[in-house]
Amino acid sequence: MRLKYGVVVVGGGHAGTEAAAASARLGVDTVLVTPDLSRIGQMSCNPAIGGVAKGTVAREVGAMGGVMAQATDASRIHFRMLNRSKGPAVWGPRAQCDRARYPIAVRRILDRLEHLDLFQEMATGLRVEPGSLAVETRSGVVFEADAVVLTAGTFLRGRIHMGTGAAEEGGRAGEPPSVGLAEALEGHGVEVARFKTGTPPRVDGRSVDFDRCERQEGDEEPFRFCYYSREPLLEQAPCWITWSGRGLREIVTRNLGRSALYGGEISGRGPRYCPSIEDKVVRFPKARRHQVFLEPEGLDTTELYVNGLSTSLPPEVQVEFLRSVPGLEGVTMTRPGYAVEYDYFPPRQLRHTLELRSLPGLYFAGQINGTTGYEEAAAQGLLAGANAALGVQGRPPLVVERDQGYIGVLIDDLVTKGVDEPYRLFTSRAEFRLLLRQDNGPSRLGTVASSVGLLTAEQEVALEERLAEEARADAWFRGSVLSPGVANAALADGNAGRVERPIRARELLRRPGVSAAGIVRAAGADGGTGVGAPHFDGDVLGTVEIDAKYEGYVRRELERAAALRTQADFAIPEDAPYDDFVTIATEGREKLARIRPTNLAQAGRVPGVSPADLQNLVMEVRKMRSANERRRRAGGEVGGGVSRETSG
Amino acid sequence: MTSVDYNAQRNLVDTIVAQATPPGVGAVAVVRLSGTGALRIAAKLAGRGRSSPGGWRDRRAQLTTLLCPRSGEALDRSVVTLFRGPGSYTGEDVVEISTHGGYAIPRSVVEACVALGARRAEAGEFTARAYLNGKFDLTQAEAVADLVSARSAKGRAVALHQIERGLGERIAALREEVVGLGALLVHHIDFPGEDDAPTPIAEIAARAGEVADQVERLLATAPVGEALREGALTVLAGRPNTGKSSLFNALIGTERAIVTEEPGTTRDALEALVEIDGLPFRLVDTAGLRSGGAGRVERIGIEVARRYLAGADVVLYCREAGRSATEDEESFLAEVGAPVVRLCTKADLGGGRGACDDGGIAVSTVSGEGLSALRERLRELVFGGLVESCNEVPVVTRARQARHLATAHAEVGALGGALRAGVPPEVASAHLKTAESALEEILGVVSNEDVLDRVFGDFCIGK
Repeated sequence: MRLKYGVVVVGGGHAGTEAAAASARLGVDTVLVTPDLSRIGQMSCNPAIGGVAKGTVAREVGAMGGVMAQATDASRIHFRMLNRSKGPAVWGPRAQCDRARYPIAVRRILDRLEHLDLFQEMATGLRVEPGSLAVETRSGVVFEADAVVLTAGTFLRGRIHMGTGAAEEGGRAGEPPSVGLAEALEGHGVEVARFKTGTPPRVDGRSVDFDRCERQEGDEEPFRFCYYSREPLLEQAPCWITWSGRGLREIVTRNLGRSALYGGEISGRGPRYCPSIEDKVVRFPKARRHQVFLEPEGLDTTELYVNGLSTSLPPEVQVEFLRSVPGLEGVTMTRPGYAVEYDYFPPRQLRHTLELRSLPGLYFAGQINGTTGYEEAAAQGLLAGANAALGVQGRPPLVVERDQGYIGVLIDDLVTKGVDEPYRLFTSRAEFRLLLRQDNGPSRLGTVASSVGLLTAEQEVALEERLAEEARADAWFRGSVLSPGVANAALADGNAGRVERPIRARELLRRPGVSAAGIVRAAGADGGTGVGAPHFDGDVLGTVEIDAKYEGYVRRELERAAALRTQADFAIPEDAPYDDFVTIATEGREKLARIRPTNLAQAGRVPGVSPADLQNLVMEVRKMRSANERRRRAGGEVGGGVSRETSG
Repeated sequence: MTSVDYNAQRNLVDTIVAQATPPGVGAVAVVRLSGTGALRIAAKLAGRGRSSPGGWRDRRAQLTTLLCPRSGEALDRSVVTLFRGPGSYTGEDVVEISTHGGYAIPRSVVEACVALGARRAEAGEFTARAYLNGKFDLTQAEAVADLVSARSAKGRAVALHQIERGLGERIAALREEVVGLGALLVHHIDFPGEDDAPTPIAEIAARAGEVADQVERLLATAPVGEALREGALTVLAGRPNTGKSSLFNALIGTERAIVTEEPGTTRDALEALVEIDGLPFRLVDTAGLRSGGAGRVERIGIEVARRYLAGADVVLYCREAGRSATEDEESFLAEVGAPVVRLCTKADLGGGRGACDDGGIAVSTVSGEGLSALRERLRELVFGGLVESCNEVPVVTRARQARHLATAHAEVGALGGALRAGVPPEVASAHLKTAESALEEILGVVSNEDVLDRVFGDFCIGK
């Protein structure tokens, strides 16, 4: 059977679903091919979305019309805003999701999209010939495509480890790996490397002594990830905290030789920020104890995810160390933890559109690009899918800049710096942290998505409403003069000096300890203020607050962003002859030749390129341009005459 | 990660040649070749045909007869030393040829090299190549230039120390401190609720203060460093006929070490470089103006003095012993920003010591009285105690370095202030990025991942 689509997406995880949805939203006929349609949008690691920086990305995906934010809202059973004690710029929304309900929510969203078909079958081959792309499946179905987005996750030549000598082929526990695709791509000269990652065991909650654990409730205030839609709130569940101590350390130390990781079974590099318990014990021998989070797997199950004890030790050792943890003395393990090794494609081979430089029309997204995390995968999927569709339509590409979103930071880091461990986002990777907040996604990226037609009609309406509300809130704070009574009521919890005269709301907000929500509350409580009792969305208040409180810092970031934009305006041809740019230091020249940055700002981010190199790069590119120009003109005047100048 | 690919570089650049020693009569002159063809050219020069000088060993002096490539006549019997890249000064293949000195022989050797395909090097090109090949950071490259043009013994010592990476290491250490501050803040921001709790903000603010102080201490060496490089601008001022010129000559005359008139620096004042206790001073005398109508000249003299005074490191104010300062003079001196040494000149002529009672030094160019006290004072005023230790302590010698250091100082200081004022860490840390890039500008290098490396290295983080 041969079928023809504009865009074929291979893989149905967080990258694949976003890619397929984005392509379909742009109106291109799209098919998503995956071995098991019931596992679409599967959460293969912990049942949670978000965190510091990651939560912001999940919301950014939502702002651009993506699936993840809405699916999270529909399946969340516990929510906390991390970093709430710090400034709103680094608040990190994080939700525990019901592992069973999340994929259902994803499927519901996909099923409502026009232009999108789903097809259950394992892709086994990829045909890449100039002007003709095709995906082949195990049963012989051939999908011809104008563009292909590959999102194979950890399945490319995946190997699962539980202790030494027990490795088996697999991309996730119980699911076979995909070997043909990896080999097909290697055959086309695509560079391949190996990473590993791991998961912790899961346990039966009925066997846990919760009296010995610390109960952690979610935030009282409801929160939604999606700016554009409201999902009903499910029943909420608590998390539990306990601590591993000396007993566990002793057990892990004694069994280190049986760990796949330390027994020498695994060669790939794992993420430092997601260390296995073996890593923690070896690298921090002095640590007295390590936190263990027991996270609910869902509302219909008693199973718990033991966050903090990721491991590749054999199952019997896992049970032993689990039972050394307070509260888990009599625990029943339901699924052992394991490590997985998999192929990824070093992402410096990609353009900012996530298209492979050497095989136009082929796009990579998600874990195969060397990232970890559902949110990172979703962000790439969305951009890869959108660009694949735009490419098919013959329209200009969609690139999110570093000052527009974490999505931009993520992709630019991948293609410019590459990865040497599984890549995860942190706020410290962003140079414009104050601009890239979880509260202001619509104005940063909603507008961008809208301008290329990436939003559905409903999303468009919601975006417009949201932007109007922002404008209203800004006007209210700038325009409202508060009586001392109202002002002091807002100050009460802020504990700042009292106000004697009427004061503008925005002025008051600049004082330390005064919150926008507090002012609105005080104004609302006092009927006779004459400024009304406004109601604004929490996000919108966050935006107002940061702009008022840290105006100087925000302005500085805006100026820096503008300076970077100026640098970005200096274009560098992708085929620049770096070998001839001898005024650039050797190391810088080699790095530039490998990455082939498209502009000066990106060149400055290539590791190993110094400020002096950049100055010389500008000079060399100018020299090259004027030489080309002279040659062109000389050719025009003399009629194909020999170029007269050799140097500038 | 990847090291510099030396071979890739070699194929790209031509071979340069230059005489490395100053032209003129001397026992030995050195001609240096660097680049892909250096070995080949040297081999041909030695009459060894097209092959590379296979028998020559790396870093071994080799007595060789050099032949003219055209006529085949012997040019000189020289000592040839090979330094194969990348273990050479420039990072490329380098050949150093020690010929007999004088004008003719080294020049003919350079010409022979050019005839064999080398190109005459531009000024500073060997060092530029060393920098491009990653042999140096920027501070070291600058120090090489300083060393070559050092104006005093101390200046040489400092430049040599910088080449050994004195300043570079200090700056790199400061950058590490700044990165460390960033890591502490990142721990707060990116990793809430981990096994290792973050460092309290007050402690980070205090540490920022300490780092700012360290930067300031290095920055404080900038005036000394510039004076070391350029010579401390020492302006002789005073009314006409107060013995300025005699003093000028006396200071030059007794210190015969380096006396250079600097043509082109000025046409209306006399300038000389003089080394005192191994330290360079640019002595400026405005005496050369004394001609023409009296009142007018004095005014011009003051004008000239003013121009110099703006940039002066120290002013020697001359007044005849026994004459007290007029109001004019006092108000003139009050405007001078640089430290002033008051001198009572012509101390041998009756006025005597007693008359120099306002903290000045009584000097006489006739008897030599007070001159060593003056030198001592000059040394102390300009170079202070720093000079004693500056073989070990790095010194900022360039305005460029000082400018970036000042930025770093201001930003790290601002970070401490902001944290103490309750500005949250993610906002306040904006200051660090600027400080870090300022320090990187000095070194001419950048790095991106250090903050996270530090957090992961130092703290138990991650679930």
